Amino acid sequence: MFHQYKTFIENGDLVVIYLNYDSMLTVRVATDGSLNNKYGTFRHNDMIGQKYGSKIQSQYGKGFVYLLHPTPALWTQVVPHRTQILYLPDISFISSYLDLRPGKVVIESGTGSGSFSHSIARTIAPTGHLHTFEYHEIRAEKARKEFVEHNLTDIVTIEHRDVLANGFGVTGIADAVFLDLPAPWDAVASAKEALRRDTVGRICSFSPCIEQVQRTALALDEHGFADIRMYECLVRDYEIRSLPLPSIDEAIDGQKVNFKLNKNDRKKRKLESGANSLTSQEDGNSEVMLSKPVDNARGHTSYLTFAILAPAAAS
Amino acid sequence: MIAERLDPAVVKSGDHVIIRMPSTNAKIVCIKPDNMVSLGKFGSFKASELIGKAFGHTYEIEKGGSIATHTLAGFDNADITEANNQGIVDNPLSQKMTFEEIEHLKTMSLAGDVSAKEIIQSLTENNEAFDKKTEFSKSKYILRKQRKFMKSFVPLETSVFNVCGYFFEFNPGKIRGIRIDTLSQVLSLANVYSCARILAVDDGQGMVISALLSRMAEGGQVLGIHDGDVSNYDVIRYMNFSPATKSRLQSLSWSKLHHNVEPFTEHLPENASADDMAGRERRMRGHAKLSETLDNLRRGEFDALVVSTNYNAKSVVEKLIPYLGGSRMLVIYDQSKEALLEAFDWLRKSQSFLNVQLTESWLREYQVLPGRTHPTMTTSGGGGFILSAIHLAPAQQDC
Repeated sequence: MFHQYKTFIENGDLVVIYLNYDSMLTVRVATDGSLNNKYGTFRHNDMIGQKYGSKIQSQYGKGFVYLLHPTPALWTQVVPHRTQILYLPDISFISSYLDLRPGKVVIESGTGSGSFSHSIARTIAPTGHLHTFEYHEIRAEKARKEFVEHNLTDIVTIEHRDVLANGFGVTGIADAVFLDLPAPWDAVASAKEALRRDTVGRICSFSPCIEQVQRTALALDEHGFADIRMYECLVRDYEIRSLPLPSIDEAIDGQKVNFKLNKNDRKKRKLESGANSLTSQEDGNSEVMLSKPVDNARGHTSYLTFAILAPAAAS
Repeated sequence: MIAERLDPAVVKSGDHVIIRMPSTNAKIVCIKPDNMVSLGKFGSFKASELIGKAFGHTYEIEKGGSIATHTLAGFDNADITEANNQGIVDNPLSQKMTFEEIEHLKTMSLAGDVSAKEIIQSLTENNEAFDKKTEFSKSKYILRKQRKFMKSFVPLETSVFNVCGYFFEFNPGKIRGIRIDTLSQVLSLANVYSCARILAVDDGQGMVISALLSRMAEGGQVLGIHDGDVSNYDVIRYMNFSPATKSRLQSLSWSKLHHNVEPFTEHLPENASADDMAGRERRMRGHAKLSETLDNLRRGEFDALVVSTNYNAKSVVEKLIPYLGGSRMLVIYDQSKEALLEAFDWLRKSQSFLNVQLTESWLREYQVLPGRTHPTMTTSGGGGFILSAIHLAPAQQDC
C-alpha cells in the first residue's frame, strides 16, 4: 500500500484519517468498526467504497474527517515516535545522494521508528531490498509488525541486532548504507564489508552533533572511503496574508490607518466607504499579498556525512 | 527475499559522463570510442580508454592520452603547529622560480614529461615563504597548486544527483534553477514510486521529468504537457536511460489539451509513390500516438501532478487538476516565491485541497577536516520554493 496506490477504500485497508493540519491518525478499516473522536463517531462502513481523498460526515452529521491514502510522507507525520525520526528534507536529500531507485539494495541502522524505512522501501520497490537493523528489541518488534501490516515484507527485512557490537553480518550486497547510530564510527568497518565491491558504494551517516561527524569522517577516511562531504538540509515554511500598504500621504493628511483590522472588518469598511473604496484602490491602497516565514521553525535536525567507496580494482 | 543486484556502474560506449577536473570545474562528454576528450590545461585522453572503467576512481592522464587508475587522496592530517601568519608579508618575490621557468614546466607537464607532483615540489622548494606557513596553510597551498597542475579527472555517473548538480552549477537557467535538495523534495512530496502515473509540466528542459523517470519501473508512466509543437526535454539525453525507461514518457502539447480525435481517414492517392506511403504511415503513427496520449490524459486519476512552469502557476493547476486523483499530491516548484503566492492563496481557500504548504529549501555544505571543520565559504544563494498540497476527491454525486 505504501508502494502501490489504490482508488477506493476496501475492508482491511489502512487509512490515514485527517482531522486537521496537525492532527492525523491511522485506522485499519473493518466492517462494522467505528472511530470515535471529538468530531463525532465515524462508521467504517461509511468509509468502505469511498474514494481515497473523500470527506465523510460523522454518524449524526456533527463533524467530518478526510480519508487519505497512506504514503511514506504521511506516515512520517503519524508514525508513533519511538525515537527521534527523520523528516522529509533529510529523507529526500539522502535518497538522491545515495542514488536510491528501483532495484537498489540498501542497509539501514537503526530502524528507529521506521520513518525512513518506509520511504526507502517505496523508492526501491519492486525489485530492490532494504535490510534494516535495530538494536532495541521492543522497537525492532514494533517495526517488524508494521512492515507486516503494511505489506512490505517482500521489500524489507528487519533484524534485531546490535550492529555496533556485532556488525551487519552481510558481505558485498549493498549499493548503499545509511547509519543513524550513536557511534557511527564503530560501524564503518562493517559497513564497508556490507557494501558491494564490484561497483561504487555509497554511505551516509546521520548525526546531530559535530563531534560525531568528525569522528565518523576520520573513520571513513581510515577505511578507504573517499569524497567525504557533509551537509545540513532544512526547509523554511512560509505563510501569507493580505494587508493594505497605504501611502504615507494618508498619515500626512491626518488619517490613521488601522492595520490591525481583521479581514472581515476590512471587507466591511471597504463596503461602507462605498465609492470611496475605488479611489483608495487607485491610490495604491488595495491589499497586497505578503509572505513571511512562520514564527517557529526547525533549526537543526542532523548533519549528513556522505562518502563513496570505490570498487575494488579488477584482478 | 534476495534482490537481484543491478549491473555494476561502468562507463559504456555512447554514454554521457560528467568529467570532474582538478579545478572542480566539470563538463559533460559523450564517450565515443574514436574520440579524444580534451580537458584543456589538464590534458587530453582517449575516450576508448575510459570505456568499461568503473566510476568512483580518479584517473590520471599519462603520456599519449592513456589513463591510469589513481587512488583518491585521503585526508591530509596537518597538525596544529606554533607557526602563524605574524611574520608573513605579501611578497611577489618569495617565489624564486621565474615566470618562464614555470611556463616551461607546464609545457613539459602537458606533454607528459613532468608530473604534476614534480611541478608542485619545485614550486614549494623555491618558495621562500613556504616554510613559514602554518601546516594548515601549507596544505591549502598544495591543494591550490594541485587544482592547477594535476592531470587527472573523476568520471561521474549521470545520476539525477550529479546531473542536477552539474546544471545548477554551470547553467542554472536551463533547469529553472532547481537545486538537488529541492528536486529531491519534489520527488518525495509527489510520492513518486516505480509504477506511479504522473502528470508533469516541466519548462526546465526536462530536469524534473528526468528525475521522475529515474524512479520509474515497469508500469510507471510520466505524461509531460509542453508548449509549442514538440517538447524540449533536452536533459533526458544525458541520463543514459534505457529504451524501456524512455518509453515510460509520453508528451502532449498544451494546444492539444481540448483536441478531439477524429478517426484517421487519409487515403493514398492512386499510383502512390514510396514517399506518399511513408508520409501516410508517419501521419498515421502520429495520429495513433496523439490519440493514445489523449486517452491516457482523459482517463485521469493521475497519482501526482508535478509542475515547474514559466506560465502562471495557478492557471496551469486549474487546467490540470481535474486529471489528478483523490488523496494525491500537487507539487509546484519555482525559483521565486512571488510566482507561487497567487496559487498558494487560491489553494488555501479552495475546498479541494488539504495541507497547503509553501517552503523554501535550505542547504549548507561543510568542509570536514581534522581541526578545520566549518561551513564552506561560498555556497548557492538559494535552492527554490515548493508549493504542495493534498488533492481531495471530488464529492460524490450520489446523495
